[in-house]
Amino acid sequence: MSKIEVQNITVDYEERNKSFTALKDVYFSVEAGEFVSVIGSSGCGKSTLLSLLEGINSPTAGTILIDGEPINGTGLERGVVFQHYSLFPWMTARKNVAFGIKQAKKELSQAERLELADKFLDKVGLSEFKDKYPSQLSGGMQQRVAIARALAMDTEILLMDEPFGAIDAKNRAILQELLLDLWEGDGSEPKKTVIFVTHDIDEAIFLSDRIIMMSANPGHVYKEIEVPFDRPRDRVQLIQSEEYISFRNELIELFYGEIDNEIYDDDYDDDEYEEEVYAE
Amino acid sequence: MNVRQKYLRVTHLLFIVLIAVQFLPDKVKTDTHISYIIWFFSAVEVLALTVSWFIKKKASLDLFLDIVGTIYGLFILWTLLTAKFDVLKASLFPPPGKVFYQFIEDYDKILINVKSSLGIILEGYLLAAVVSIPLGLFLGWTARLGNAATYVSKFLSSIPPIVYIPYGIALLPTFRSVSVFVIFLAAFWPILAGTMSGVLNAEQRVIDSARVLNVKKITMMFSVILPSALPQIFLGCNQGLTVAFILLTSAEMIGASDGLGYYVKQYSDFGDYTRTIVGIFVIGIVVVFISFLFNRLQRYLLRWKK
Repeated sequence: MSKIEVQNITVDYEERNKSFTALKDVYFSVEAGEFVSVIGSSGCGKSTLLSLLEGINSPTAGTILIDGEPINGTGLERGVVFQHYSLFPWMTARKNVAFGIKQAKKELSQAERLELADKFLDKVGLSEFKDKYPSQLSGGMQQRVAIARALAMDTEILLMDEPFGAIDAKNRAILQELLLDLWEGDGSEPKKTVIFVTHDIDEAIFLSDRIIMMSANPGHVYKEIEVPFDRPRDRVQLIQSEEYISFRNELIELFYGEIDNEIYDDDYDDDEYEEEVYAE
Repeated sequence: MNVRQKYLRVTHLLFIVLIAVQFLPDKVKTDTHISYIIWFFSAVEVLALTVSWFIKKKASLDLFLDIVGTIYGLFILWTLLTAKFDVLKASLFPPPGKVFYQFIEDYDKILINVKSSLGIILEGYLLAAVVSIPLGLFLGWTARLGNAATYVSKFLSSIPPIVYIPYGIALLPTFRSVSVFVIFLAAFWPILAGTMSGVLNAEQRVIDSARVLNVKKITMMFSVILPSALPQIFLGCNQGLTVAFILLTSAEMIGASDGLGYYVKQYSDFGDYTRTIVGIFVIGIVVVFISFLFNRLQRYLLRWKK
């Protein structure tokens, strides 16, 4: 039995009396401790898929099983990091983390929660900024706090919806390495199961054990690819290796090949195509 | 800033002019009580000099001294136009010293009236806040889920609360209870509308962030929706406070036996314009003071905003 099983998920939306299928027959599974990236152009339903896993939306048909049990709404075995607004603007970094801990671990006292919050803020390198409000932190720092909160809640599963999508290239690289470090840990605890949504191919390769490629109209899983690189990964060494270059090219070919198919698809709506191209 | 930049200011020159002007010969026959002016503004000047010492930013100091300087300027003008040259009709425009004198004379009476007005405002306003904020949270939340609550409150809030006064007088036993009721209504709608719009406009993504933390309904309401609606709740509260003061003073002019509005109305009816001006000043000071406290509270509670 896999940790997460997504079984024949379909999501239909009603919009202006027109029915629109966001996801159709999506089927895949994720093993415990696996790091899986979901990649695809915007409009392929990858964020819709994640919202189903989060429990914010529910599918029109199909089920999602976690440890064999169908999910029903949100749950504390799943921690979430969004691209924006993961944090509450009226709470300091420390209070934000402590608030998450409070929801997940009701047995802890306020002092213990704050202590744990400090520990995780230290892990993401933000000890000095713990009493700052989100508006006083950079985008990258805000995401660090969001990651600290998700990790401090100690959920078995981590769902990340383009968490580094709005961060500049350099800070994104730093955050990716931080995330991998924290995920790999020191081996004393079982690794968390991660589903990471992105539209960045390099990010997906660097982080994941496996990449799920999605494609639009309607959103479906197009291809699943194992990432053949050993961990821990060194970014500089990795991107210079022959294997990386050929693997990346292979992915790009798949990725853009599918986009070409989408473009020449007869049913394809022109307006939506433009939106997709410009959104990326 | 060095000492010269700090203390070599037009404001202080105006202070000297203001004091000097007092010693010009009076043209009006009544007592102009110049000693009250001299004592009061000397105290103001000492305060201004002390505060200047503690203000670090040049822009804040400029603003502060500009305000003080403007007050000095107005009092110079007032002194000259009344006591010294008798340009304005003496019975309608008392010289400033007389107003100060009257204020000191009537101090106890004024205090009673201030207390009476503030008591009514406080009671009606707090009652309105305590009822309308939770109600606004609830109605806002249901309206968010698609409901007619918004339209109902839009209709009711568009009725000017002053029209309830006659009906209130018929319904309620004492003038005080009518006043509290009117203040309650005056403050109730803006606060309710502010709270509802705060909830309606709460960022969905922030709410989703709370949902994925699996928060309880009550936590969602008071730890997430309430703080995210707070900026707009404050907008409503500010509006409510302004309307409350307007209505209270109007109501007191109509039918009260004490209160600041009553004080002003009564003495202007008797043609005692010195006391009328005293009353107007006191109302101004009270409103400024209350808004100052209110702004402080708002700034503290919204310190997380950029």
